Amino acid sequence: MSAKLMFNSLAWLVWLAPFAGILAAGVTRRTDPRIEGDSVLRHDMAARVEHWATAISAVLLLLTGISLGVLFVPALLGPGVPIWTALNLHFAAVVMFLFGTFYYATNTVLSPKRLAEHLPTGDAVEYTKRHYGLLLGFKKFTMPPERKYFESEKMAYLMAAAATITIIITGLVKVAAHSMSVPGQLMAVVTPTHDIATVVMLAFIVPHIFFAAILPASWPILRSMFTGRVSLGYAQHEHAGWLAELEQIGETSDESNDDDVIQTPAPKRVA
Amino acid sequence: MTTSKRNPEGIITMKADHITKAPEASSPAEGKTFSRREFVTSLGGVGIGAILGGMVVSSVLLPEKVFAIPASGGYLLVDTKKCAGCTSCMMACSLTHHGETNHSLSRIQITQNPWGNFPEDITISQCRQCPFPACVEACPTGAMHADAKTGVRTVDEAKCIGCERCVNACPFTPSRALWNFEEKHAQKCDLCEGAKFWDQKGGPDGKRACEEICPMGAISFTTQIPAQNEGGYEVDLRTGTVWDTLGFGGAPQSGGHLG
Repeated sequence: MSAKLMFNSLAWLVWLAPFAGILAAGVTRRTDPRIEGDSVLRHDMAARVEHWATAISAVLLLLTGISLGVLFVPALLGPGVPIWTALNLHFAAVVMFLFGTFYYATNTVLSPKRLAEHLPTGDAVEYTKRHYGLLLGFKKFTMPPERKYFESEKMAYLMAAAATITIIITGLVKVAAHSMSVPGQLMAVVTPTHDIATVVMLAFIVPHIFFAAILPASWPILRSMFTGRVSLGYAQHEHAGWLAELEQIGETSDESNDDDVIQTPAPKRVA
Repeated sequence: MTTSKRNPEGIITMKADHITKAPEASSPAEGKTFSRREFVTSLGGVGIGAILGGMVVSSVLLPEKVFAIPASGGYLLVDTKKCAGCTSCMMACSLTHHGETNHSLSRIQITQNPWGNFPEDITISQCRQCPFPACVEACPTGAMHADAKTGVRTVDEAKCIGCERCVNACPFTPSRALWNFEEKHAQKCDLCEGAKFWDQKGGPDGKRACEEICPMGAISFTTQIPAQNEGGYEVDLRTGTVWDTLGFGGAPQSGGHLG
């Protein structure tokens, strides 16, 4: 008995997914964060779609990928149906991951300020040490007013972005090998690189899930990934710098809904 | 070009770059600008259209794929009636390909039934280098392929994704396409073409380790495609040898009775 591998029969979906993400971003109208009474809109619908499409698919990719065997870890699955099922699940996750990442990347191109708020500042290393020290309870320190994302999250963002780009490039070569003759020497480099990037992604996603979903202190922010909102009190306590920016921008700026218009605060330190 | 101005709240408002149509464009909308959003929307639409259009065109214009593969440059022949079950061939196969003697890594398999009667007590399972190899056809990435020079069916390990479709596709039991549990890829008999731990030249034009090592002369080699039948490449390697004098020859004229 043999089975159809979607990487062969439906490979076109892999090439279609990035363009679907680009098109979706093109027709998406973003809503900027704003203060709404006693809550703050933190993630608009597009941000939540980006996050969950990427997150769910990344977890599925990691589970199926590791089950199929990564680097020196033997395959955990038996031959036949278990392996084919894992490969097909991996395929479905690939399509979802490509859509999510290209949707995010295109949204970022359309609105570069969203990238800027993810990039670490010069305080990143020191803030990160203090942030996790506070979370884990072995440091006593009053955090300076953080902006929308903690410096620690910005550091992790760089790692996740590097792993994601590597995984996508090497993964697309692996997909191409299903429909065209790719030199064995190239595959000998691509496959271990894909696996190493997988390990880096695992090193990102496990702490991310712990600090952003399991740790009770992070539950308000986890909830915001579903509702889009955090309470004003939470924003004041955890992201005072960001709240100050929102207050400064004003909650009813018509122009803020237009991603072709870039608004940046005047060059003064808010935090 | 980017323009910026500062509003009363101290916020700098910048108009994003625009891509301007070439001035020589002769459409009525000459001089019209595309925003970044319009550009990426067009890119997404054109990309999707190109892929879907390409699929339709290719399904109409391109002919059905034909599975054509050259014949192998050689074939292993065995005579199980000569086999003593010493498994020297298995150890030689593993040693020359992997640098260690491990029965589980051998591409030729000897199976013995301790309760079986001669000559059904021993089976030699070697790859037949099939004219229409199901393992090659099943491989989704071209890792299992026919060598361009020799036609030998073999595995490009770097291309193998570990789906084991080849292992399952092989019509024989045990499968002649094997799973290398140490390096996690498929492998099969390559007539020693890729025996990197052997100082002899392998392949159809060289030597085969199993054939060389067999103390009973139970393994042989031919460049002619053997008859495809149930018995596979089982042949009489006794007739015309000292086995005749022992009454173990295959041909009636030699007095043999073992066929």
